[in-house]
Amino acid sequence: MKKVLLTMLLLAFVQVSFSQNYKIGKVSKAELEEKTHPSDPSADAAYLYKNRRTYFDYREGEGYVVVTEVHERIKIYTKDGYNWATKTISFYAPESGDTEKVSIKDAKTFALIDGKVKSYKLGKSDIFKEVKNKYWSKKKFTMPNITEGCILEWRYKITSPYKGIEDVVMQYSIPIKKYESSIEVPEYFRYSVKQIGYLPINVVSTKKNSSINFSNSSRVQKGGLYTETSYSKLDYNTNVAKIEKDNIPALIEEPYINDIDNYRSSIKYELATIKWPNSPAKHFAQSWEDVAKTIMKNSEFGGQLEKTGHLKDDITQLSETFTTNTEKIYGALEYVKSKIKWNDYKGKYTDNGLRKAYKEGIGNIADINLTLVAVLRELGINANPVLVSTRNNGVPTFPTLSGLNYVIVAVESPQGTVLLDASEKYSLPNVLPLRVLNWRGTIVRKDKSVGFVDLSSSMISAEESTLSYKISEDGLIEGMNRSKSKNYAALSYRNRYGSLKEDAIISEIEENNDDIEILNFRLSNIDDLSKPVVELYKFEKEEGAEIIGNKMYITPMLFETTDENPFKIETREYPIDFGTPWEEKINVTIEIPEGYSLESLPENVAKGMSEDLGSFIYSIKNQGNKIQIASLIKLNQGIISANYYQEIKEMFKQIVAKQTEKIVLIKK
Amino acid sequence: MIKKTTLSILFTIFIFSIVTSQNLELSAFLVPDELKENANSVIRFEDLHIDMTSQRDMTITKKIAITIFNKQADDNADISLPHNGRTIIKSVKVYYYDAFGKEIKKVKKKDFKDYSASGGLFSDGRYLYYSYTPTTYPYTVYYEYEIKTSNTAFIPQWFPLNSYYQSVQKSVYTFEYPSNIKLLKSENNFEGYDIANVEEAGKITYKGESIKAIEREPITPSFSSFVPNAKLGVSKFNLEGVNGAANNWQEFGKWYYENLIQSTLDLPEKTRNEIKSLTASIEDPIEKAKFIYKYVQDKVRYISVQIGVGGFKPMRASAVDNLSYGDCKALTNYTASLLSEVGIESYHALIYSGSGKKSINSDVVSQQGNHMVLYVPISNQELWLECTSQGTPFNDSGDFTDDRDALIITPDGGEIKHTRVYDDKENHQKIVGKYILSNEGHISAEVKMVSSGTQFDNHLGYEGRSNKELDKSYKEFWDNINNMTIDKIVVKNNKKEGKFEEDLSFVADNYGAVSGERMILPINAFNVVSYTPKRIRDRKLPVEITRGYYKVDVVIVELPSDYKIEAMTENIVIDSKYGEYKLTIEKQSENTLKYTREFLLKNGKYPKEEYKDYRSFRKKVVRSDKSKIVLIKK
Repeated sequence: MKKVLLTMLLLAFVQVSFSQNYKIGKVSKAELEEKTHPSDPSADAAYLYKNRRTYFDYREGEGYVVVTEVHERIKIYTKDGYNWATKTISFYAPESGDTEKVSIKDAKTFALIDGKVKSYKLGKSDIFKEVKNKYWSKKKFTMPNITEGCILEWRYKITSPYKGIEDVVMQYSIPIKKYESSIEVPEYFRYSVKQIGYLPINVVSTKKNSSINFSNSSRVQKGGLYTETSYSKLDYNTNVAKIEKDNIPALIEEPYINDIDNYRSSIKYELATIKWPNSPAKHFAQSWEDVAKTIMKNSEFGGQLEKTGHLKDDITQLSETFTTNTEKIYGALEYVKSKIKWNDYKGKYTDNGLRKAYKEGIGNIADINLTLVAVLRELGINANPVLVSTRNNGVPTFPTLSGLNYVIVAVESPQGTVLLDASEKYSLPNVLPLRVLNWRGTIVRKDKSVGFVDLSSSMISAEESTLSYKISEDGLIEGMNRSKSKNYAALSYRNRYGSLKEDAIISEIEENNDDIEILNFRLSNIDDLSKPVVELYKFEKEEGAEIIGNKMYITPMLFETTDENPFKIETREYPIDFGTPWEEKINVTIEIPEGYSLESLPENVAKGMSEDLGSFIYSIKNQGNKIQIASLIKLNQGIISANYYQEIKEMFKQIVAKQTEKIVLIKK
Repeated sequence: MIKKTTLSILFTIFIFSIVTSQNLELSAFLVPDELKENANSVIRFEDLHIDMTSQRDMTITKKIAITIFNKQADDNADISLPHNGRTIIKSVKVYYYDAFGKEIKKVKKKDFKDYSASGGLFSDGRYLYYSYTPTTYPYTVYYEYEIKTSNTAFIPQWFPLNSYYQSVQKSVYTFEYPSNIKLLKSENNFEGYDIANVEEAGKITYKGESIKAIEREPITPSFSSFVPNAKLGVSKFNLEGVNGAANNWQEFGKWYYENLIQSTLDLPEKTRNEIKSLTASIEDPIEKAKFIYKYVQDKVRYISVQIGVGGFKPMRASAVDNLSYGDCKALTNYTASLLSEVGIESYHALIYSGSGKKSINSDVVSQQGNHMVLYVPISNQELWLECTSQGTPFNDSGDFTDDRDALIITPDGGEIKHTRVYDDKENHQKIVGKYILSNEGHISAEVKMVSSGTQFDNHLGYEGRSNKELDKSYKEFWDNINNMTIDKIVVKNNKKEGKFEEDLSFVADNYGAVSGERMILPINAFNVVSYTPKRIRDRKLPVEITRGYYKVDVVIVELPSDYKIEAMTENIVIDSKYGEYKLTIEKQSENTLKYTREFLLKNGKYPKEEYKDYRSFRKKVVRSDKSKIVLIKK
């Protein structure tokens, strides 16, 4: 009886492990038979299993190397999932210096042929190595015999002499059925750890015993020459962080988001301290103060701020020209913009160094903005660098140096903080390029103290159009439009049109504005950044009003009408990210033709979102042969939580409905 | 008499010439006014010298100076030079000058970055790249390089003018070749330009001067079809290590077949037997070919691997059989091998792919094309098979390879053939639908759409998309309808009949705009053209409508019970040489309408003067598509 029970238990056990055997090569028939992903039928492919283990391996003569082993099993459901059959593994292989090594093993395609599991091996000669650039190389391969329903599997190992730990990424554009990772770090190394994304992740931390066996060889003279080897053993703890998670959903892109990677569930590691037994700890960044201290000591950051001899003559001239602090800030910003052009490279460290960047007139972000700090300080302004992570670089939620990739400038005063970025031709104090508007920046002060500043701009991006036109009896519209863009709206306008000739601008506006014909065009302040950009033009539109029967129908805001709701999807998971708060104001005056009288007008409307997040006001009135309309859309925050998605979608639905509503005139 | 400003500029240059290295000729101030018109940049001079010393040795030397006026032309200051094992960059130097011709920067070969040119899985092609950040405008870039290559199958072409918004002050092209080699040439669009050509023994020279910049305009033929150019080929050449000789297409094709194709048609025994037995019961050769085409589509996928001569020679059929992937050459070759096994002759065809309808230039016998398809002559029919796509119907590859010359390679030699031409009406889209309008202006709609010909291509991408993506795609497709909620999407690639079928139903709030007592209804819901080509004040280029199409919509509209029709647009007929448009609304019952929209756009070429007429035709279509019906409360 006992025996039977045992067999049954064993059977049960076998049953369980049979249905989900994640050992390499043990692909089951059931897995191959699956036609669609059970919880996400629209998935083109899925990770059936993804396991990653990173550990430190002590090697004599080399010390610790970081080894990452990955095992992936991928199911292909549809033809669109075929691109998952091609794998690229990037690794660091500089022209000079130590190189990471990659080895790929057990790569096979599994398919169900006549009810039997068949596998096809990836040939060695079908793995390609490609030198991407001076620093990085790739190994690439694509699996043989891909069909809908097949399963791919491989293992690979990256061995690195560097102590960085690759991000632990837990979410991809396809779902994952079973995910496991284990990061095992000897007690000598401490890492700052941060988690991003929207998945609940449970990290289980444990300790385990590890040891290293050393062998010491020495030559000894003892009646002949011997090599004597002595052995010693070092015991230490290894900290293990394990994650196990089933059924991770795919990461889906949505409109109005920050960079998608900022929503991807993952864990980032940054080396903070190395402490060997019997020696003092070597600190890398750990607190924001440490980050500040580390970077201020760096010759390509803090060190640069001391070397300002080459700016002397220019600074004398600037200080003679500008007297008030505001003047000095504007003046210094424009001065640096004119002296050093951005070479499109980001970076918190200087590339050329301030002197060379000045001489050549070209530099990266640090070259430019550290020059601005230096100039402002020489002018007696309390300016400091601000470390930033740009939108496509992720959100730095914990003290990190490697997580920051950009530097701007802050001027702190009792009146508030002014942020500057001289890399962008059309930027202004507190009107920064969108790439910078990402969470918060870290001010690194001269006295080595640290401050934080919110980067999501509170400066309202504003557009205001004043339209006045008259309609003739045959529906021809003739009128004038004056459009004003302020702050971020002005920045984008200038970026878009700043370098175009007038003809090209007119032709673009004509095309974008419902094919009106522009007769007279004037653009003001395109280069005078202290003022809003203003475009003013006379226009004509044949059959701008529609005549049906004895009535005339007018869409009062003409080409300024918001006629499409940008929010189309039904539900949303990520915040709606406009970058900055914004408003759009449209004022219209219409003169109705002699032979017609007013039949009906749209009604006034006023809508507000909860917590004053946004509002829409529309008012219309008629006086004699004139109709006046004012429409105002306001969004008071640059980033709006996904909880308000339905509300904002609904508000835009009403905006579209109201703005497309017609005024009806009737023939007298 | 020298004007005051010129004098002061000369004076400034004089000052600079004393203090620093400079190049007076490169001063931006010396560009003649007529070459500044519409120009973002001007080629000051270009000297391209090609010295072919033997069948497998060629040195290309280029010296060029370009003055750049604004940031639209900055690309011209970036330098990208392709190379691989057989093409070696011997030297390259770059100098940048300011407006006065004063040197601002010097770049050496070691300052370049070396990148992989791989777009697919792997390619051994690489390129050296340098990108420049300008500090002032205008500025001038001068560069010179020397490249040595054994690939004499590609003689660089002469396009003195190679982009819009760029003018040319002077361009010289010289090609020198050994006496045992015959030169083949094609010279195009020289009329009206100041171009001289000198031909002597073993050498040909082209020289062009003062070529004005051309502004980009919509609906034109392709740029390369109207600008002056010369294309050269040689009778003896080398392609990635393989020698070749050809005086005509017949010889070229024979060489290609014998050196690059013959040895790759090695289907394994097992597959040969399998395909024979699978097709044994099919009589009609076309049906056999269809079967094999589908067999290949089901088995393989497109993956690009280009190494050495593998950029031109197909991967072996046996390898494709084993791996189930390959590039266009490999998959074409595989299909050909299978067809041959069942007794159907087919030939590899070199072609230029893309909607631009670029033909193989038949005047210059040389390695051309960027793609390979399969040409199958069966039962007096000429079929063209695209072997890289798994969704393309048999002999129906749409605008990817339609209507152009291709070179077919047979064991007996090469021959130029023209690919399938689609008649305007073959590019067809038909919508049959219905929508019910509620008293609130909401609609609930059902649409069935069928596309064929080149219209098929517009929808093919929808196949295999997830529902979430499709939902998004259709909301964008019908961007004239707001607040859509789609409850049914069925897409079907009916490859067999060459039709793409879509079946949807959805509801949308506020489609009809209620204003007071009235509701305004844009009657045409499912097919609204909103594009009008932009106004051009002084059109300079001819008009070309590359492809026509024919779209028909038949839609039933149920009106809301509380309303009656107050006013209705009259039926519209627009008849022009560019196309025909018809919108007919019929009353079927008290509250049911049926509208029929027919739009035929004809392909054609017209002189520039007709752009206005064409535009006004399109404007009328746009206006008609917005036609409205006014309803009033009963």
